[in-house]
Amino acid sequence: MKLQLTLAWRYLKGRKLRSFLTTLAVVFGVLIIFGMNIILPTMLAAFNANMLAAAGAVDATISHQTGGSFPPEVADGLADIDGVRAITISLNRVVNLPTDFVDDNPAITDRISAVTLIGIDPETARSLRIYQIQEGGRFLEPGDTAVTVISQSLADAYRVGLGDRIALPSVSGVVDLTVVGILPTRTVPGNEEVLVTLPQAQTMTGQEGQITAIDIALDTTDETERAAILAEIESAAGDSYTIGSLQPGSEMFASLQMGQIAMNMFGVLALFMGGFIIFNTFRTVVAERRRDIGMLRAIGANRRTITAIVLIEGLLQGVIGSGIGLVLGYWMGAGIVRLAEAPMNIFLNIRMGNPVVSPTLIATSLLLGVGVTVLAGLIPAQNAARVTPMDALRPTVAEMETRHRMGAGAIAGIVMIAVAIMALLTGETSFIALGSLLFLIGLILVAPLLLHPIAYAFGKLTALLYARQGIGDLAHGNLTRQPSRVVITASATMIGLAIVVALGGMTSSLSDMLNSTVRSSLGSDYLLIPPSISVWSGDMGSGPELTERLQAIDGVGDISTLRFAVTAINGQSISLIGINPETYPRVSGLDFLEGDETAYEALAEGRAMIVNGSFTIALAGLEVGDTVELATPGGDQTYTIVAVGSDLLNAKVVTAYISQANLAADFNRTDDVFIQFNLLPGVELESVDSQIKEVAANYPQFTVLAGRGYIDQMLELVKVLFLGMYFLLAFLALPSLIAMVNTLAISVIERTREIGMLRAVGATRKQVRRMVVAEALLLAAVGTAFGILAGMYLGYVIVKAMGVMFPISYMFPLGGILGGIAIGLIFGALAAIIPARQAARLQVVEALRYE
Amino acid sequence: MSLIHTENLTKIYGSGETAVTALDHVSIKVKEGEFVAVMGPSGCGKSTLLHLLGGLDSSSAGKVVIDGTSLAEMKDDDLTKLRRQKIGFVFQFYNLIPVLTAVENASLPITLDGVRPAEARKRAAEWLERFELGERLNNRPDQLSGGQQQRVAVARALVAEPALILADEPTGNLDTRSGDEIASLLREVTKKYGRTVIMVTHDPRIAAYADRIIFLKDGKVIDETILEKKNGKNADLLAGKMKEIGD
Repeated sequence: MKLQLTLAWRYLKGRKLRSFLTTLAVVFGVLIIFGMNIILPTMLAAFNANMLAAAGAVDATISHQTGGSFPPEVADGLADIDGVRAITISLNRVVNLPTDFVDDNPAITDRISAVTLIGIDPETARSLRIYQIQEGGRFLEPGDTAVTVISQSLADAYRVGLGDRIALPSVSGVVDLTVVGILPTRTVPGNEEVLVTLPQAQTMTGQEGQITAIDIALDTTDETERAAILAEIESAAGDSYTIGSLQPGSEMFASLQMGQIAMNMFGVLALFMGGFIIFNTFRTVVAERRRDIGMLRAIGANRRTITAIVLIEGLLQGVIGSGIGLVLGYWMGAGIVRLAEAPMNIFLNIRMGNPVVSPTLIATSLLLGVGVTVLAGLIPAQNAARVTPMDALRPTVAEMETRHRMGAGAIAGIVMIAVAIMALLTGETSFIALGSLLFLIGLILVAPLLLHPIAYAFGKLTALLYARQGIGDLAHGNLTRQPSRVVITASATMIGLAIVVALGGMTSSLSDMLNSTVRSSLGSDYLLIPPSISVWSGDMGSGPELTERLQAIDGVGDISTLRFAVTAINGQSISLIGINPETYPRVSGLDFLEGDETAYEALAEGRAMIVNGSFTIALAGLEVGDTVELATPGGDQTYTIVAVGSDLLNAKVVTAYISQANLAADFNRTDDVFIQFNLLPGVELESVDSQIKEVAANYPQFTVLAGRGYIDQMLELVKVLFLGMYFLLAFLALPSLIAMVNTLAISVIERTREIGMLRAVGATRKQVRRMVVAEALLLAAVGTAFGILAGMYLGYVIVKAMGVMFPISYMFPLGGILGGIAIGLIFGALAAIIPARQAARLQVVEALRYE
Repeated sequence: MSLIHTENLTKIYGSGETAVTALDHVSIKVKEGEFVAVMGPSGCGKSTLLHLLGGLDSSSAGKVVIDGTSLAEMKDDDLTKLRRQKIGFVFQFYNLIPVLTAVENASLPITLDGVRPAEARKRAAEWLERFELGERLNNRPDQLSGGQQQRVAVARALVAEPALILADEPTGNLDTRSGDEIASLLREVTKKYGRTVIMVTHDPRIAAYADRIIFLKDGKVIDETILEKKNGKNADLLAGKMKEIGD
């Protein structure tokens, strides 16, 4: 084994540049997979940290399975269970704070962007938790109104002391609370807590007679006994309730997960390309070392030894590449977590901890990286074992493949492409998705057939460019001489560019869709927007008073609001958006995938709901006309699905729309979290603007925007988002560059003798350089042509797949195609630089002597 | 007793109309400790004969027998083992592994045979020292002259203590002086260390170092000469013979 290792290591060291480039391919794939998979667990850990902080010394917390509120009667009887030492009820609510609400100073970055409002029962709460009130203050007492206990750190942020007042938004406008007690500085992660009495919290959140948690302390530490007691508590509370931590992050967790899946796909593609590159390299390595291998066989190495040498070389590269990938991936993951810290804090009220790396993730990433490398090396290694001792003795003859006839592979490829096109015609998403895979493989298989004409056509072009020198023809000849090698490189380029074109197609379709949805969803004259518009649960809404006062303003027309609650179907958490079926379609509107405007009437008439695309994916099998049981604080309620449709704000979260009347009756929620309205025809904005702002001033949780301005702001955001996407695309095309540089460098090394001969018979350095560049451009052209074909198909598939969620139609990705061509050719030229210089620099005599 | 002999050894490349007979019923015997040169014009089949003797290639008909065992009946793994333990090869282009040092190259056959690296190194170093390469143990092939590289190759052929050394144009890539050095080294291998050497060459001056010359033409043995004295005249004699058979 030691010999194999020594040989592998020395060979790798001998060709530093190539080893570097191929290893880089592995590094890249592992980097993306590892880095991206750090992010989600880190965010999850941040959630849990918040939750743990809330749990404190409590043995068990009972909450509704939806995470929503429920009547306090549930707690009755739990206290009588044997083994329960103490019990207390509370209402917890995260309150997102508007920008600069706490410090009133735009110059200082907001440290506090949200607080958790906790309504407690002062008497029972103290039997579960210890509240260390600092000297001079006191704890809450039953019957207190408009007083609070906060921590020293929150007091510092508000710049208040004992007896001062802090402001908080509530459903009925800003409420001032007098600080009567101060707790020690908060040291655990999570939101700062604002402690008030339970009735106070219920009033402020508009959830009269509701609680969200029952905390229980047990009087034993024996694990078996505790388990028995907890089981009894669980059965006493009933099916709708869960013991354990709250799950408020689920809606945003789902969208993060989507992102992670997408990034993992990229990572796998990158690794796939890495595998391709390594396969190609090893094939050449084996060809190059035919003589060495033959000699080893001659002096007594058996086939297994030869296979082992090549595989160990692959293993070495895999291990080194994966190792570097892990390190860089960690940096990338940690970097993104750092970058995300500020926006996460502001928009989602999560404080991030250190990057979380699970041993499983390390193992999986390593396994993938090393596995792909070794797999890619397998076929070349077996080829190496087939080298006979005779090969050591034969004079080297440049390998000449003459496989122009139709092989079985090409026929299979044509069949695959035909099937893929048929799948496209069926319009069935799952067929088309499968078709995309067939299409890619089919293209790789028929590539040898197409290579000749394509290379010929482009060869003519380059021959024209380098007229009189015959170099274009030479380059063309060099490529067609070894179709399989070229096909492998062109395939790597193809996959890289296919991704670019596909995502280009997707982004242009998506941006088209977004632009129109932005206009229809947010096209009203005025918008009142909460701090977080994607995750509603932390937004403090407003009571009916606000809309009533707005409506009273002369000139204000229809008002539409969104209300929010959470529910669950068979344990799957779902966001509920309450709309006013009458005004909503007039001010805003859903884009329907199934059903039409008549669905709004159905909402008004009974327990009916419109669901969005994410819903139909998450709960596959449910269709329009089906009935489902929604978990509510008062037990399950039966709702009928009447249509599938989505608005912009809730598209990516599993959402159902019901009427506000039903939301109030079944979920006790009546606060508006998002308000939009139109002005009556002919009314000038200027005439009502000041009145509207005045009314809204008491509700700092909302930012007032005149609609058009907001649309521009959103479109700008979309643009930035897409810029990021394009950046990512360029990043993904990088491995193709590596693949191309690799193949070209190898083809130069292989033909060292030939190039020496060319120089000997009178080719100038410039001519040799041009020949190599022409070859690179040809290679790029072939890869690009294939890539664009495959990319258009893939793009169509992606758009089709997204059509399940959004109303989106395929746009011809002209930009993506132009970008693809540009990237392909620029990379082709770039890839040629190193090998071309190498080739031109060769000393004639040395080149001729080259073995 | 002969160490190696062939019976009607025949090798045909290709088939049908394009078939080429490289060896045509060749039967030769080589005794232990003998230094035999195989001579003949280009394409006479001398290299093919060597490949068949070394078990590198398989015959179309006839057989090769080494130490009483016929190669035709052996499997690839057994042949590999036989090569590893009983045969040493010296090639025209040295065929050293470029990334290994002289001593590592020389020790390859026994390392492959499972000898512990330290022991293998010691034994390889001993051979290299005998061939005046003691100073260059840790040099890579590209840091050695052609003659030195070929001496490393001879050391590699001997390190496993094989009974038989097969050399294919061992001086073909060397200048006259280095060529003479290698030829006398091979002679020393037979006389001093008691090995059997079969060498293919077309150079009469090099062949003159051998005990016996086998002349091949068109795949057939056409003549054999036993050389009594190793002097310059032998070379002239052989050159004359070569001319005779039409080099």
